Amino acid sequence: MKMFRFFGLAFVLVAGLLAIAGCNSEESSGGSDGGSDAPSEITYASTSDAAGLSPIDTNDSVSSNVTYQVYETLFVQNPETLEPEPLLAKSYETPDENTWVIKLKEGITFHDGTPFNAEAVKHTFDQLKDPERAAPRASLLDPVSSIEVKDEYTVVLNTEEPYGPMLAALSHTNAAIVSPKADKEGNINKKPVGTGPFVFEEWVQGDHITLKRNEDYWRDPAEIETVTFKVVPETSTAISMLETGEVQFIDKIPSDYIGRVESLSGVEVQKSEGTRVSYLGFNMEKEPFNELKFRQAVAHGINQEAYVSQLNGLGVHNESFIGPKVFGYNEEAKSAGYEYDPEKAKQMIKENGYKGQELTLFVANRDNYMKMAEIVESQLTEIGLNVSIETMEWASFLDTARQGDYEMTFLGWANSTADGSELLYPNLHADNIGSSNYVRYDNSEFNKLVEQSRSSVDQEVRKEKLHEANMLAIKDAPWVVMQHGMVSLAYDKSIEGLTVDPTGMWSLYPVTRK
Amino acid sequence: MIGLITRRFFQLLLLLLGISFLVFMSMHFAPGDPATIIGGPNATSEDLEAIRKDMGLDRPVLVQYFDYLGGILQGDFGYSYQTGQAVTEAIITRFPTTVKLAASSTIVAVIIGVIAGIISARKQNSWIDVTSTTFALAGVSIPNFWLGAMLILVFAVNLQILPVGGLNAPFYTLAGLKELILPSITLGTASAALIARMTRSSMLEVVRSDYIRTAKAKGVRKRPLIWIHALKNAMIPVVTVIGINFGTLLGGTIITEQVFAINGVGRLMIDAIAARDFPVVQGTVLLVAAVFVVVNLIVDIVYALIDPRISY
Repeated sequence: MKMFRFFGLAFVLVAGLLAIAGCNSEESSGGSDGGSDAPSEITYASTSDAAGLSPIDTNDSVSSNVTYQVYETLFVQNPETLEPEPLLAKSYETPDENTWVIKLKEGITFHDGTPFNAEAVKHTFDQLKDPERAAPRASLLDPVSSIEVKDEYTVVLNTEEPYGPMLAALSHTNAAIVSPKADKEGNINKKPVGTGPFVFEEWVQGDHITLKRNEDYWRDPAEIETVTFKVVPETSTAISMLETGEVQFIDKIPSDYIGRVESLSGVEVQKSEGTRVSYLGFNMEKEPFNELKFRQAVAHGINQEAYVSQLNGLGVHNESFIGPKVFGYNEEAKSAGYEYDPEKAKQMIKENGYKGQELTLFVANRDNYMKMAEIVESQLTEIGLNVSIETMEWASFLDTARQGDYEMTFLGWANSTADGSELLYPNLHADNIGSSNYVRYDNSEFNKLVEQSRSSVDQEVRKEKLHEANMLAIKDAPWVVMQHGMVSLAYDKSIEGLTVDPTGMWSLYPVTRK
Repeated sequence: MIGLITRRFFQLLLLLLGISFLVFMSMHFAPGDPATIIGGPNATSEDLEAIRKDMGLDRPVLVQYFDYLGGILQGDFGYSYQTGQAVTEAIITRFPTTVKLAASSTIVAVIIGVIAGIISARKQNSWIDVTSTTFALAGVSIPNFWLGAMLILVFAVNLQILPVGGLNAPFYTLAGLKELILPSITLGTASAALIARMTRSSMLEVVRSDYIRTAKAKGVRKRPLIWIHALKNAMIPVVTVIGINFGTLLGGTIITEQVFAINGVGRLMIDAIAARDFPVVQGTVLLVAAVFVVVNLIVDIVYALIDPRISY
């Protein structure tokens, strides 16, 4: 009898816990399962949750995926020509090299009813630059010294030095314009208010974010009524959900999974060249990598094709640092690197006086870096180097790499402005040694060319300077480019009009469902 | 009993104080800087410094720790560096999901484990016993990750009778129950195997004891002998296993939550560790420790209920 009492007690205990669990989670249950057969809804599987929903306060692609639908920028990069085109701006002029006069479109309002005008632009950019706010992408507008409201729909940006990539910076998702009223009164990092085609509805942190169509959008309202960003950390689970219709689209498909996705019958896959570059970087302050000859030897020993061929079509072999989808690319740079020639590599290593000391490949255990490391390790062993791999988790890796405490490493650069200056300046200019210039490259001639590419406002001159700087760096070999990335999307066949631009961004505004 | 609870309560406070110190220091001295994660690889040194200052990370570590402790005493566990959400809110919204998952997988584990264990013990060395011990071994050995993925492929993708992931609907609805099935089996399998093995060996020991022989001699029939007289005593070590197991599950079931896209405490913690989100890591570790101690206390109380010889 007592036995039954024990089981009874246990049952009541468990049932009680379950009841609590049930009651509480009921509140957070709404709207997440997307309704796969309702054609005006769309659910996207995101590998992680957004960090925040304010463009000023975030700097990660997951957050940008959401903010890109809610907010808009003054300019937007044309994915074909890579030239910035006006979006919230109507036109612009540069009366002199340090002055940008931007005319704004009229009659646009934010989701909270606040009018979009020069004041809103000034507020947003002042906040982005305010050291108190500590915006992660404050550097986008670093060269801007002041922002003036000339009249209701004209804003003037003044710079100390001419700033070439201004329009690319203004096209960046983190330079999107926020409602000044919402930003002053509330927390736009949790409740975003922009001018975009979708209005924020709900955010259950860690689970999903829901957006609704903006019925008062300044262009024609979007076709899609409800958008859900569902957090699904496992790629394999996300693909299963795509297959069963629990989600309608996924992006950034890892190369190991692309085969499975392509085999699904009701699913369309899009792959196109992106702006991301991945490279093997040498620590220029450490021996023997401070020797050009040694770097050249290593470069001759690496067969990028062997790596790219394992990516199932999700990578391109191109030796240029500035990729083909980035402003400043010139076809001449494509094969300007050191071609694969293991014999020559062996010879050069011998001439360099290498005595067999151990060289370490410092690798983060994420993305495709481990795969790269294994292939490169075996290729370098073949040319007679004694190479070992040291792996580390991402946060520790970044910290260690930033301090320059490594010999060779793998890194990548997504280049969200698709502008060559935004690649060469942060990654290879001496100004950024100790931060984003991980390889600690310092070449005064290169520095000067990059500065010129940033300070000229003539886009043709910029292109030329970028090309020169690119060619110089390729020959100097602080990096060996491993691949230029592809951007990818996989979506239900009922979806039409979904495209991904080279930076990996997609807008749901033009999307419809059959 | 009241003495036990009071004693444990003070032990818990001391334990939490110690843990808070250890976790705080280990997070701050471990490599990896939250500002680098927030700023991303393209942030400049000035950006990073501004972020550190904004989060108060530029102050001496001890000052930060005492500031943190002071906050806790007022019920303020700080705010997430990543999302700005209050840590208590982040945990409170996710804990019910974890409780739901832990409870349902414990039920699965107990039902399968105890029944299999008893049958195994009763039919020792028979084919049933061999089959059940083999399955128990397999259950302990199969990685959760693989089992979860396989269950999804079979029941969600191919048969399409259960959803792939999520745990959002209330458990008493059909949708809620359906969502619970695959993750509970995934999580419950390993524990079921453990419980089965424990029940079996404990039963075998008990049925050989003197009092069972006496009961047999007095003519107690076989069924009540096993299910009432023997099982109750055999359950004491099993209850410990179930309790510890339940406590562990409440601490978050990271892999299962990842695989089934469940928004629980485990995922909150692992994401926070990866992002060096100190306040969230500290908050979740403290919660897990507290829950573990409380569950153990409950196990001790249950002991006394099962075995009248035990009193506190």
